[in-house]
Amino acid sequence: MNSVVSYFSQTEGYQAIVKTLSELLGFDATSLVAFIVFGAVVTIVVTVLATIGGLGTYAERKISADLQMRQGPNRVGPFGILQFLADGVKMILKEDIVPRQADRFLFNISPLLCLLGVFASLAVVPFSSGFTLVNLNVGIIYLLGVASIVGIGIFLGGYSSNSKWSMLGGMRGASQIISYEIPVTLSILAAVVIVGGLSFGAATEAQGGLPHQWLIFHNPFTFIAFFVLFIGSLAEANRAPFDLPEAESELVSGYHTEFTGMKFAFFALAEYIEVFVLCGVASALFLGGYKVPFDLGTGAIFSEKLGLHPMLAKNIGQLLQLGAFFTKALLLYYVVIWIRWTLPRLRVDHLMVLCWKYLTPIALFNLVGVAVWMYAFDGQSFFALIAKMGAAAGGHH
Amino acid sequence: MFGSTLFIISALLTLGGAFMVVASKNLVHACVFLLASLFGVAGLYATLGADFLAAIQLVVYAGGVVILMLFAIMLTGGSQDLSNKYGLNKIPGMGSVRTYIAGGLSALVISLVVLKILANVIKSAQVGELPEFTTTVEKIGTMLLTDHILAFEISSILLLGALIGAAVISRPRKG
Repeated sequence: MNSVVSYFSQTEGYQAIVKTLSELLGFDATSLVAFIVFGAVVTIVVTVLATIGGLGTYAERKISADLQMRQGPNRVGPFGILQFLADGVKMILKEDIVPRQADRFLFNISPLLCLLGVFASLAVVPFSSGFTLVNLNVGIIYLLGVASIVGIGIFLGGYSSNSKWSMLGGMRGASQIISYEIPVTLSILAAVVIVGGLSFGAATEAQGGLPHQWLIFHNPFTFIAFFVLFIGSLAEANRAPFDLPEAESELVSGYHTEFTGMKFAFFALAEYIEVFVLCGVASALFLGGYKVPFDLGTGAIFSEKLGLHPMLAKNIGQLLQLGAFFTKALLLYYVVIWIRWTLPRLRVDHLMVLCWKYLTPIALFNLVGVAVWMYAFDGQSFFALIAKMGAAAGGHH
Repeated sequence: MFGSTLFIISALLTLGGAFMVVASKNLVHACVFLLASLFGVAGLYATLGADFLAAIQLVVYAGGVVILMLFAIMLTGGSQDLSNKYGLNKIPGMGSVRTYIAGGLSALVISLVVLKILANVIKSAQVGELPEFTTTVEKIGTMLLTDHILAFEISSILLLGALIGAAVISRPRKG
């Protein structure tokens, strides 16, 4: 199990710190330093992702404004980019109202459950080969498990506020999330079958930096599986055209109608971070994740050609990998927002029909198709087969 | 050090959650505490090095079972007043003095029996380190598809039957 600590422990400074602390404290300080480093990295990841969530609200407004030929927020900071901080200050200063008939305990913990599920899923998101918090062997299942806490949070939020709108929103949210988990899991399994492992590290390492080495172009079935996964992710994160739990034209604001101030902000933040996590997962499984073209990510080329220090070269490679991952994830994020402001909302029964009559059978046959492909073509990708055929045809001349 | 910390946290979560499940009068609250307890059990599996089991515990129980329980409670509807017109407790909490006494006694009896069975093992056991952590995913996968293929297939047919049965029951009847 390698975590972010094992990457940092390669540096010389880390060893020196461990040695000094061990001498100073009189016991082996390896675990203590590992714990502190891990805590620091967790803090960084949570802060960065919370900022991305906050900027997500800004991006949503700005992009929707672009699509509708408006200006969008443009008063706070350059291009209005600090709007989310102003919103945060406003949210903190709002009065915290709990409805009189509400279930106080559940009303207070449901926003926290939403955030808990999202932040717990950050532990296995592969930002780069060294900068993954923990490269769990069962990372994919773990992510599916903790992501469903968000559904419980939404459901309890709707139940506890003792309002019919909230209740309907919460029930819609719960049924939608458990339904769409099935096609999403089946499409993820299609990738798992090819990779032969349940960790995000293994899934990304099985792909290459260039598009023809990505799993989405591995065979026709994975191509479909990616789109099923993406549609299902939209529904799991309650994004339009599947934002029925908060359908503002029918349910006021759905499950968070009664929430005020920071509790409301927690729901919004959880949603935006979850969208980022799901985009990251889709890119890690199907779009090559953190892989940089021409193996630049390992940094070996910098130390060989440019004569840099091996550790420095490795760090540059890691930065390139981070760049590749965030570029792919944020591009998908843009597509998610773009879809929201383009497509109208589905009706509830259409939503269920789409899930159970179309996506689930498609995902199921995809899984079988991928297994057959792996058996028939010995696990080679479509492009590898074409290259082989080309080589064979060339050999006759 | 890290292992024992994780164990203490998971054990506290499991026991505390389980206690609160029986102590709480509100069924939905009990469900939420059950979620905490199931998380603790997943943590216990993780302490024992059963990573696959821990993750599956999260997916199946935390993700599926608790949500379905909440859904079922929601569909039955609830009542706001806890006592009926005679002033009797309509929904008695599961954690009354009687249930605690009965539960405690049965736990005592069961633990005595289990200890009697395990006595030889405990006496002869050497206190040692846990073996080095190795992933269990591949081993479980291989075992399921070789040695235990019959049980695996039978349970999947059972699940398929349950699925079809649920679809048949919930289908609106014609006429």
